[in-house]
Amino acid sequence: MSEPRMVIPSMEAIRLWQGVSVPNAAARHGLAEMEALIAALEALRGRMAFEDEPSGFDAALRACMEPQP
Amino acid sequence: MSLTNLSMTEAADAVARGETTSAALVEACLARIAQHDGQVNSVIRLDAESAREQAHGLDRARASGAALPPLAGVPMMHKDMYYRQGRVSTCGSHIRRNFVAPRTATVLQRLDAAGAVDMGTLNMAEFAQNPTGHNRHFGHCHNPFGLDYCTGGSSSGSGAGVAARFFFAALGSDTGGSIRLPASLCGVTGLKATQTRVPRTGVMPLSFSADNVGPLTRTARDAARFLTITAGRCPDDPTSAPEPVQDYEAALTGSLAGTRIAVVEDWFFDGIDAEVAAAFETAMDALRALGATVTRIAVPEMAAVGAYTAVVSRAEGAAIHANWMREYPADYAVHLSARLYGGYSLPATLYIEALSRRGPLLRAFCERALGQYDLVATPTLRTIVPNLAETDIDADPENWARFMAVSANTRPFNYLGLPTISIPCGADHRGLPIGLQLAARPFAEGRVLNAADAYQRATEWHQRVPSL
Repeated sequence: MSEPRMVIPSMEAIRLWQGVSVPNAAARHGLAEMEALIAALEALRGRMAFEDEPSGFDAALRACMEPQP
Repeated sequence: MSLTNLSMTEAADAVARGETTSAALVEACLARIAQHDGQVNSVIRLDAESAREQAHGLDRARASGAALPPLAGVPMMHKDMYYRQGRVSTCGSHIRRNFVAPRTATVLQRLDAAGAVDMGTLNMAEFAQNPTGHNRHFGHCHNPFGLDYCTGGSSSGSGAGVAARFFFAALGSDTGGSIRLPASLCGVTGLKATQTRVPRTGVMPLSFSADNVGPLTRTARDAARFLTITAGRCPDDPTSAPEPVQDYEAALTGSLAGTRIAVVEDWFFDGIDAEVAAAFETAMDALRALGATVTRIAVPEMAAVGAYTAVVSRAEGAAIHANWMREYPADYAVHLSARLYGGYSLPATLYIEALSRRGPLLRAFCERALGQYDLVATPTLRTIVPNLAETDIDADPENWARFMAVSANTRPFNYLGLPTISIPCGADHRGLPIGLQLAARPFAEGRVLNAADAYQRATEWHQRVPSL
């Protein structure tokens, strides 16, 4: 199977922004596997919006606790 | 019965009643480790003399009539990422092979105060970053039920050692399933509490948003006592939850009458092996027989949960390791540097998006799956236990997908922050364990523990001992 086109530009961006070079062939393979994650995230676009009000995950945990009797 | 076949609570209670001594427990564990750990490879550091001294001290205290704390005299070992001041904590890595911990983890302080005997440290995935138990630096950990098979990771030595009866309980850590996976693959009980329920001070970080501290034990009752001792706010960990801690063990009723269980059909059954599906259905029948109702539901948000889960833990893990990835990339195992590397490709805006959707997705999940139901049930692993060769990325990058699939059913509960337990619920045709996962609303650890305990009172899967 051919390597996705996003691999080489991603490697260049990682080197530019992070100073990290591709460490081995498996890393390149793993980067190619990110294509599936990109597709999953692409499918989510437009389905959720940012909330206008301040919020945080700790607050969400407490808000979702079982109601006390 | 052999002393090493006691559960943690049975061992503690036997010491408290004077039916055995801590010294006898320690010697029984040391003998079993000496006999079998050459095959399993669960131990990194064994502090035998220190354990004997701790045990004799507790036995002397009991003989003098002193009141004993709830884990007095019980031998334990812990994943080698829980810091004890002055002791090397390798984190399963070459990079930290000589790292001397500057402080003692809060959970170790609490276990010390409860009288537990610390016998040393355990093998683990390098920097807690793989779901299989491979480790290039200390050798792979082997499943006691089949030595060619994965233990699950990252708390590999914790799962394998509790299963092999080397000690009575072990700390693991869970960022994407690292407690529940070795529990499932090795046939023991593993509890990931609500995010922030147990303090993380003095614990190697992997992902600040998703890291959890918790136990691997033989039974849910053991996990209940363990959680009661280790949970609760710690001033040294400002992220730890202030919610009061109940006595989870005292709250176990053995009854599931009126308990409503949801089986989420999206995500958790994709590509499931037939043997796992059959064991799961049998477990649902057992829960129904105990008085629960079981209903199949849809949660369409699971696709979003699954995608964002991958973003958060990979981005945070990559950030934590950035300096070492620049300076010592060859010091990592191939599978780990490969996994970290992908994290650097994630845009910051996407990471922010994944964090910002976490609360709304938790609310949506709770409304759909835990609004009319008390628990969610899933298989812990979708497949039967893979072997070490077929998940070894270092040997063949083509194993990547099989390797990553191991944690597909556990990762979502880290993103959602929900309390989740894995308990044994069957065995495949090779005799390797199959796990059942139960989750509840935030801070409802009592619910998952009570359900798991009720199930274990009615079944015997948790009592299987591997033939080593």
